[in-house]
Amino acid sequence: MAKIGITTTVPIEVIYAAGHVPVDLNNAFVARPDHRELVEEAELVGFPRNFCAWIKGIYGAVKRRDDLAAVVAVTQGDCSNTHALMETLQMEGVEVIPFAYPYERNYDLLRVQMEIFARRLGAEWDEAEGAMQNLDRIRGKAHEIDRLTWKEGLVSGFENHLYLVSCSDMEGDPEAFENKLDGFLEEVEARAGESAGLENAGKMVRLGYLGVPPIAPSLYDYLETLGASVVYNETQRQFSLPFDTRDLVEKYRLYSYPYSIFYRLEDIKREVERRRLAGLIHYVQSFCFRQVEDIILRRSLDLPILTVELDYSDRLDARTRMRLENFVSMLGGRGGG
Amino acid sequence: MSVLYGVDLGSRYVKVAAEEDGSFHFMGPYDTAGFYRVYVKPDKEGGILRRDLLGLEGGAPLAATGYGRARLGKGAVMVPELEAIVAGVKALTGLTDAVILDVGGQDSKALLIREGRMVDFAANDRCAASSGRFMENMSTALGMSLDEMGRHAENPVELSSTCAIFGETELVGLMGEGYPPESLAAGVNHTILRRLLPLLSRFRPRSLVLTGGVAYNKALRELLGERLGVEPVIPEPPDFVAAVGCCRLAREHASKGD
Repeated sequence: MAKIGITTTVPIEVIYAAGHVPVDLNNAFVARPDHRELVEEAELVGFPRNFCAWIKGIYGAVKRRDDLAAVVAVTQGDCSNTHALMETLQMEGVEVIPFAYPYERNYDLLRVQMEIFARRLGAEWDEAEGAMQNLDRIRGKAHEIDRLTWKEGLVSGFENHLYLVSCSDMEGDPEAFENKLDGFLEEVEARAGESAGLENAGKMVRLGYLGVPPIAPSLYDYLETLGASVVYNETQRQFSLPFDTRDLVEKYRLYSYPYSIFYRLEDIKREVERRRLAGLIHYVQSFCFRQVEDIILRRSLDLPILTVELDYSDRLDARTRMRLENFVSMLGGRGGG
Repeated sequence: MSVLYGVDLGSRYVKVAAEEDGSFHFMGPYDTAGFYRVYVKPDKEGGILRRDLLGLEGGAPLAATGYGRARLGKGAVMVPELEAIVAGVKALTGLTDAVILDVGGQDSKALLIREGRMVDFAANDRCAASSGRFMENMSTALGMSLDEMGRHAENPVELSSTCAIFGETELVGLMGEGYPPESLAAGVNHTILRRLLPLLSRFRPRSLVLTGGVAYNKALRELLGERLGVEPVIPEPPDFVAAVGCCRLAREHASKGD
C-alpha cells in the first residue's frame, strides 16, 4: 500500500482500487502547522514571489514528505503552473503520473484517460467501479451535510467547506472518514433540537462561494460575525461529486471544476436559484489565471459578486475584512441609509 | 441633539468632523500613527478616544469608520466605511444617484448609488498602485510636492509597471534619462488614471463624485473628466467625506437609541 499525492481531485476510485492511498497535497500543505515555511522553501529554490502560493505550498509539502510513492499531476483541467511544478518535481526525482481531463468533456477520451491511469497504477477497471460504490455511500453523507447547510441552516459555512473539501481524498482512509461524517451528522442532529440555530439562520445573508477553496478558511467565520453565512461552496461541493450516476466515467464527466467555465456556470446558476443566494464571493488566488474568469462570472450572473484575492496568509488582512464587511452591509440593505 | 462627531481612521490619516446645527467643522487630517499615540488611550476593550484632548464634548454621539476603528472600542458607534462615504456624499452634495470614486491611502473603490443606497461596488485588487500611498511614494521619488505633482497632465512619460515599487524604480530610471519633471509627474497621473478606469467601466457613470485625498489632484480630476465625459463633482473637503458621513450615521444610531 503506497501513498500517492494528488494535486487536485482525480478519480480516487482508481487509486483505492490499486490498493494505494491518495493524499490531497493541498490539504497536506494547509493542514501543516509549518505551512508558511513550505512556501518559503519553494521560494528559496527559485519559485517566484509572484506565483501561486498553492503550487509553492504543494512543492514544499512534497519535499517535506518521504512517504509518497508518486504524485498525480493534473495536466489538463487545472493550470499550467501545475505543469511547471510537475516538471520541477520530476527533475528532483519524484515519480509523476500525469492525468488529463479532456476539455470538451468527451466521454470516450475521458474513459481512455482513466484506463491509462488505472493501468499505470495497476488497478483493474471493475475494481475501480466497485470502489466507487463504497465511496459513493460516504459521499452521500457529505451531500447530507451540504443539504443541512443550505436547507436547514444547521451547518456553518466553514463546516460545509471542511467536510466537502475532504472528499477529494477521503483523508486517505474512507472508513475513518465515514465515521467522522457519521459523528458530525449526529452532532448536527442534536443541533436540530435547539431551535435557536434555525432562527438565526433565517436572519443571515445567504452567500455563495465560487472558485478554488480559500487559503484562509477563517473567511467563513469572519462572514458569520458580520451576519452572513456561506450556504454554497461551489468547488468543494464538486469535490464530493454530487451526481446521481453509477457510471464511473460519467461521474468524472459531470464533475465541473476541470472543464470550461460555461459548464461550471450551469451548475452555479442552478445552485444560486435553489439555495436562494443574495450574493456571491468569487475567491481568486493571487497570480492565478482564474482571476480572468471573474469577467465571465460577472457578465453571466445576475447577482452581486465580491471578488476576494488572497496571496498567502492564513488570517484575513484589514482590506479584505473591510470589503467583506461592506459587501454584507450592502446586501443586508444597509447601504448608507 | 446639539453636536455630532464622525471619525474616519484611514490607513494614512485620521479625519474628524463635527456637525452642529447643520454645519460642519473639520479637524485634522492627523497622521494615523501619531493619532493613535496621542489621542487613543489603550484599553483592554480596544482603546478610548481622548475626546478631552481633541476638544470634543464628552457625551455627544460619535461614529467611527476606517481601518483603525476597532481601536476605538468604547464610546463610538462603528460603521462600515462605504456606508459612511455614501452618507457623506449625500450630506455634502445632495446627490442620491451617482457613481462615487473614492481613492484613499491604500484602496480605491467605485460605489454605485441609486436612490441614496449603495447597490454595487468595485474595489482595486491587492496591489496599492492606484492609491494615495503610490502618489506619495512617487512625489518623494520626484522630490516634488503632491500639490505640484497634481498640476501636470501634458506630455506624460510612459510608466508601464503595475506595481507601486516597480513603478518607482522605473520613474527613477527615467529621471536619469533626463525627462523633464513635468512629464514625469504627468506620467504618474496617467498611470493612476489607467488603474482607476477599470473600476469605473462596470458602472458607466453619468454623474461622478470623487472623494478621498486623491481628489485634490487637479490633473487626475481633469483626466477622469475627459475620459468619462463627465465633470467630476468634488465634495468639499473631499478627504472628510467619510467623517461627515459618520456624523450623519451617529445621529441615526442615536435616534434609534443604540
